[in-house]
Amino acid sequence: MKKLLKFLSPYKKECVIAPAFKMLEAIFELIIPLIITGIIDRGITGGDRSVIFKSGGMLLALYVIGLTCALTAQFFAAKAAVGFARSLRKSLYEKILSFSHENIDQSGTASLITRMTGDISQVQNGVNMTLRLLLRSPFIVFGAMIMAFTINVRAALIFTVVIPVLFIVVFFITLKTIPMYKKIQGSLDSLTGHIRENLSGVRVVRAFSAGNREKKDFEDENVSMYRLNLVTSRFAAVLNPATLIIVNLAMLILIFNGANLVNDGTLTNGQVYALVNYMSQILVELVKLSNLIITLNRALACAGRIGDTLSVENGLKDEGTVSADDLADTDEILKFEGVSFKYPGSGEEFIQDADFTVKAGEHIGVIGGTGSGKSTIISLMMRFYDVTSGRVLFKGEDINNLTLTSLRKHISVVPQRAQLFSGSLRENLLLANPDATDADMERAVELSVSSDVVKAKGEGLDLEIREGGANLSGGQKQRLTIARALVKNADIYALDDSSSALDYATDAKLRGNLRTLTGKTVIIVSQRIVSVKDCDKIIVMDEGKIAGIGTHEDLMDKCPVYKEICESQNTFDGEGSL
Amino acid sequence: MKNGSVFKRILGLVKPFAPLLILSLLFAVANVVSNLYIPVLTGRAIDEMVGQGLVDFEGLFAILKLFLAMLLINGVTTWIMTLINNRVAFNVVRDLRVRLFNKIHSVPVSYIDTHGHGDLLSRMIADVDRLSDGLLLGFSQLFVGLLTIVATLVFMFNINVWITLVVVVLTPVSLFAATFISKKTYKHFRKQASLQGGLTSFINETVGAVRVIKTFGAEGAEIEKFSKKNDEFAKANLKALFFSSTTNPVTRFVNGLVYASVAFFGALVAIGGGLSVGTLSCFLSYANQYTKPFNEISGVITEFQNALACAGRIFEFLDAEDMVDTDDPAGNAVAFSGDIEINDLRFSYDKTKKLLYDISFHVKPGSHIAIVGPTGCGKTTFINLLMRFYEPDGGKILYDGIASDSISKSTLRKNIGMVLQDTWLKSVSIADNIAYGRDNVTREEIIEAAKKSHAHGFISRLEKGYDTIVSPDGENLSAGQKQLICIARLMLNVPPILILDEATSSIDTRTEIRINRAFRALMEGRTSFIVAHRLSTIKNSDLILVMKDGNIIEQGTHNQLVEQRGFYYSLLNA
Repeated sequence: MKKLLKFLSPYKKECVIAPAFKMLEAIFELIIPLIITGIIDRGITGGDRSVIFKSGGMLLALYVIGLTCALTAQFFAAKAAVGFARSLRKSLYEKILSFSHENIDQSGTASLITRMTGDISQVQNGVNMTLRLLLRSPFIVFGAMIMAFTINVRAALIFTVVIPVLFIVVFFITLKTIPMYKKIQGSLDSLTGHIRENLSGVRVVRAFSAGNREKKDFEDENVSMYRLNLVTSRFAAVLNPATLIIVNLAMLILIFNGANLVNDGTLTNGQVYALVNYMSQILVELVKLSNLIITLNRALACAGRIGDTLSVENGLKDEGTVSADDLADTDEILKFEGVSFKYPGSGEEFIQDADFTVKAGEHIGVIGGTGSGKSTIISLMMRFYDVTSGRVLFKGEDINNLTLTSLRKHISVVPQRAQLFSGSLRENLLLANPDATDADMERAVELSVSSDVVKAKGEGLDLEIREGGANLSGGQKQRLTIARALVKNADIYALDDSSSALDYATDAKLRGNLRTLTGKTVIIVSQRIVSVKDCDKIIVMDEGKIAGIGTHEDLMDKCPVYKEICESQNTFDGEGSL
Repeated sequence: MKNGSVFKRILGLVKPFAPLLILSLLFAVANVVSNLYIPVLTGRAIDEMVGQGLVDFEGLFAILKLFLAMLLINGVTTWIMTLINNRVAFNVVRDLRVRLFNKIHSVPVSYIDTHGHGDLLSRMIADVDRLSDGLLLGFSQLFVGLLTIVATLVFMFNINVWITLVVVVLTPVSLFAATFISKKTYKHFRKQASLQGGLTSFINETVGAVRVIKTFGAEGAEIEKFSKKNDEFAKANLKALFFSSTTNPVTRFVNGLVYASVAFFGALVAIGGGLSVGTLSCFLSYANQYTKPFNEISGVITEFQNALACAGRIFEFLDAEDMVDTDDPAGNAVAFSGDIEINDLRFSYDKTKKLLYDISFHVKPGSHIAIVGPTGCGKTTFINLLMRFYEPDGGKILYDGIASDSISKSTLRKNIGMVLQDTWLKSVSIADNIAYGRDNVTREEIIEAAKKSHAHGFISRLEKGYDTIVSPDGENLSAGQKQLICIARLMLNVPPILILDEATSSIDTRTEIRINRAFRALMEGRTSFIVAHRLSTIKNSDLILVMKDGNIIEQGTHNQLVEQRGFYYSLLNA
């Protein structure tokens, strides 16, 4: 919660005004029993009608002022709570977008989503209720106690016993339930994950008629959350009745003591009434407070989760000072020097001692089997992960010395998984380069062999893409993600096995188009010999090691791995393909 | 949906728990009576304290004994009621989530394709939570509130008719104020819920694709878009929150008026000797007791407005039309031979445009059908129809002469195995992924299947082997590895019809050769649709379907199509 408090600081004014007005309202409420005592003792017992009229007028005035104060307080509390949640949501979103790949791997999307949505609204609710009640309730409680003392010290002593006892009860229940609420939010995470999974995998689930199994799994998770809820509420539910019993017991003692004091002549019965009234005000307030505490405990559990996410240390240090924009053009645009790499937390090395140089304007092919480390090469040059040893140089500068944004500005990558966003095609393309003109985008669409897709749909750049690209085929999505990468004005374009869903003719056309990008360096990662065959240089990867570098002809001569891949594909493609 | 009908349906959700609720109601009666009896006893006790030396302790003890009993009853019934009400609310939530989740599995695929996943998620998580909060508050406060009002009125009329009438006259003001505010608020709640759905959708989509956003350094742009939506939501949120929170102070104000009136008129009556001080104090407590429930009920009303708005969204999803299925006995649990006949098939997503039309062909069991055409030519659409993910607009697909719409979907799909273009794995262990959709699969069978699809090698090299958990986004496996697992999933039990949708596209060629051999063995004697690129596959197939712009434009064997000199021929010579 402490970490989150700074999000309230722009609302200092509101945070003071709301409770202050609540307190004002409370003061007026505390005066009311005094006026009633006046009515009883001076009005009725004293037989003075004018006191009754005056007191009636005062009551009315107090209620009007009370209403004004309450409305003011509600408004400022709502404003602070909403504003707080808004900036918290924004910061959390920024934090998530700033996560390194390692952080994302570890956090889990579903859990991040619950934090962004459910958790924040719980905390917002907590802030709102706190501003409204947290000051008011203790104020009324202690205020009522002080007022009771002004009436009679001996009779009021019982108040000093009740209040600490209540605080102990509240404290105990809070201590017990907060970890339970954390667990509930955790099980909400897994429900969310399960739902997401079923939405995205609906076809496979149905193809395997696994709906019933999924339903059963979901039901199990759902039931375990239900049980958690029940157990937690069993504890939380003690708070309210315990408060009732303790305060009513105190009331009983108060009446008994009061009776003795009246018998002694130290108290009037009007005063006993006022004392009882204060005790019942405490009761009403504490019942409210105990409900608030239940809300608050939940909010605190959620705040803890959000705080955890906000304080996750970024796995990647952006401590470079050199901007890649300031680097002079060199012949060696990219260089790997003895690079080895392990994924964080995994034992084996995914890349071992990789050395290669890419010259500006070259077309480089990277080929190798599944899991040979081809994609990792791209992740490393984008600095999505840090190398375990060795250096990656961009235009002669170690990429660790470059600012992350400037480095990534110069390299444009087509990721293996074709992900598009809901919205227009234009919006999707502008993601890569906000300054692109329609002409730039149309050119990129043309180069990525997507014009027919766009034309067939007849909406041009306004083509509406549904969430997850649901209205496009796999190949169409791939080509549009290539178009997106081409919209960016970069030095290096890297395609990470991103033509796998394309037929051979389209793939060939695409490679032809890439050749027209004069002066640009192109890196094509692929499984297919045809896709890399015409490259200026081909890097052959085999189980994390570079098995050979050279042209197609060189490698056919010298690199047995390459030759084997080639031959295997020839037996396939000897007769050609479509 | 009208509020009234939403309300009725919410009652429907609660109905199975009627016995529990009746029990809760009984406890509520005991609770209210004890709660109201306490001020009576307090009043009587005060009346015993007439003055110095005049306190009747014997009478007082009798009263206090009763007081003790009442306070215990009051505490215990509150506790039991809370437990019961919580149980009911949690049960409703559980049942509702299960129904919503089951709904995911009964709506047509097109529904899920066209609705934002984040929005559906928001309905299932946030909206259900809000509904339950509303219900919980409803049960716990509405009962007690209403009972308190009625009981208090009875008690008060017994004491003094005229003062009670003052109270009754002022009551409608409170109700009027509450309804006025809640009407205003509902509009804001509805808007808030829908904006929240949009925001969740955006979060769901972009948080799921952080890697892409980072690749393009588009964090700034996305944050800006997010901020816009966030601000819009915050605005609606503030309005809804503030308007709803005015209910409480306003009704409290009206209640204050009631209290003041009782004090004022009560005192005037008392001064004339019509009331004792103890009775007046008791009356004042009642005025408080009587007005508090209005306060709480008004709170319930706002909370309920919110719950109604959320329930509306929940029911909207539950009311979505289910996919058509059949439980035709003829089709049940039958193994197909693989004979497929298609007659005048017609389909398009956008019903105003023609897409797939005039499709007819017949294949015998064991035929191999190659689907050929440029990327995006509509292969996926055709598969959607074969698997009945989408229903045709016209025409028929007959399996063994039985129309597909009279075969239950599960029977149909049990007979068709496919490897999809987009791999999808569950976030469970690799072994469970391979055994997906089947029960009682032994580890040996799983390993056997993995060996057949050549996935065994890489799986056994993983630190935890077959027990490796696939991460939620599947990022701990390469695309090729995921595809190998998908193939192993199919190997476990090969159905009579296969759809191989560019299955081998992201697997390296050395593995691909082995898989291809395995596939050929599989395809032996099974009707297989292959989305094919390789000429050898195409040439050897019994039927080639040539697709372009969403439709099958040519069909026949290789030789027939070459003779036609049409689109296929031009593809060959490209």
